[in-house]
Amino acid sequence: MTDVPMREPTFLILTALAAGPQHGYGIMTDVAQISGGRVRLRAGTLYAALNRLAVEDLVEMDREEIVDTRLRRYYRLTPHGTARLAAEVDRMRRHTAVAARRLAAPGGSA
Amino acid sequence: MDDRFRVSGAAQAGRLERGYRRLLACYPARYRQIHEEEMLAVLMTGAPPGKRRPGIAEAADLLWGALRIWCQPSPAREAELAWRDALAILSVILPLILVVSVVVNEARVLVLMPGSPFGHRFLPWALKQLAAPLAMGALVPLALRMRRLAALAGAGLLILLVALVSSPPSVLPIGDIIVIPALGLQTVALAASPGPRRALKILTWKHVALVVIATVLVWTRAISINPVARLIVLAVIGARMAQTSPLGRWLLLFMAIPAYPLFFFGMPPFSPPGTGRGWGLDFLPSTAAVVVACYLPPAALAVLAAVAARRASSQSSGPLDVAGA
Repeated sequence: MTDVPMREPTFLILTALAAGPQHGYGIMTDVAQISGGRVRLRAGTLYAALNRLAVEDLVEMDREEIVDTRLRRYYRLTPHGTARLAAEVDRMRRHTAVAARRLAAPGGSA
Repeated sequence: MDDRFRVSGAAQAGRLERGYRRLLACYPARYRQIHEEEMLAVLMTGAPPGKRRPGIAEAADLLWGALRIWCQPSPAREAELAWRDALAILSVILPLILVVSVVVNEARVLVLMPGSPFGHRFLPWALKQLAAPLAMGALVPLALRMRRLAALAGAGLLILLVALVSSPPSVLPIGDIIVIPALGLQTVALAASPGPRRALKILTWKHVALVVIATVLVWTRAISINPVARLIVLAVIGARMAQTSPLGRWLLLFMAIPAYPLFFFGMPPFSPPGTGRGWGLDFLPSTAAVVVACYLPPAALAVLAAVAARRASSQSSGPLDVAGA
């Protein structure tokens, strides 16, 4: 089955989890940092995305903790999620390499 | 859900927290049971000091998220649906596997014993071996148009096959040992799943090529006569299927039904006549004993797995509570 290109919020969530298991607020903070402040996920968007990613077997729950009497739940990438993210990185890398070559070529837009 | 989280959350509920809880009440009850406290912790952690109520953008985001959650399947539900997709795929690939198996076996006989080892009886013998798998294959295009009629035809074909092999000798040929449970499974698949129409949306040519290659590999002489090698090859294929997804795991479980006799061929009750029937089935006619031995253990395993999956899905209150489900 051919994978469709990944949407940016999905890519950023999986990238945040690629560094290791993170809880919801950690994912939101990391996504903002990775995108340079351009993408700011709110809780509703994040948890709907996490639910969809779990259905697609890309993420799963890692563990739970109680911090300051609040429940904190950590998520991690599944092996399928890791492979999917790697495939997306490869796809983007190939596309950017083609774009960079064409821009640098004589008569290119650069 | 642990009550201590609700008690501590309620005790500290301020105006902001009450506002968030009103918004979170829009989420499905089963989802809230698992995720409400977690989401509340995220919302409260992200709220700046002095904030007294949820903002408009924040409220819209939570309501939009609730709508998406209502519309999305849960991972547990996906695992439930995976068994139907697995059966749909089997309705197509089972005849393919059997046709390839018979062709490889008969081709191997021709290569090893050139000059038609059975004389003029070889071609009729080979065609007899292919008849049932080809009949199973013919059910696929029929099921594309009339799935239930194809299931009835499969049931009729199964009854006919069992009746034909009920005559002596007292043990079934290896081809029939596999064909009978495979045909039974295909009939169930046509009746209980969306059938080939759904399978053709899931399967690609890469999947079909992998099935053919795996089948040829299992039936190569070096592997087929060595039970340990056969077990290793099948275990590697099975582990890969189980690793991929709930669909892969259901496929692996269902495939155990027709593959089950392969592990025990040569042992009672599949042994040649005179070596004992074993398995405590002496009270049955020999053919019935073999059919029961073919179906009963893997069918019991499939039923137990289905019951366990149904109990797990009824106990799970929302998504992400069963890792990797």
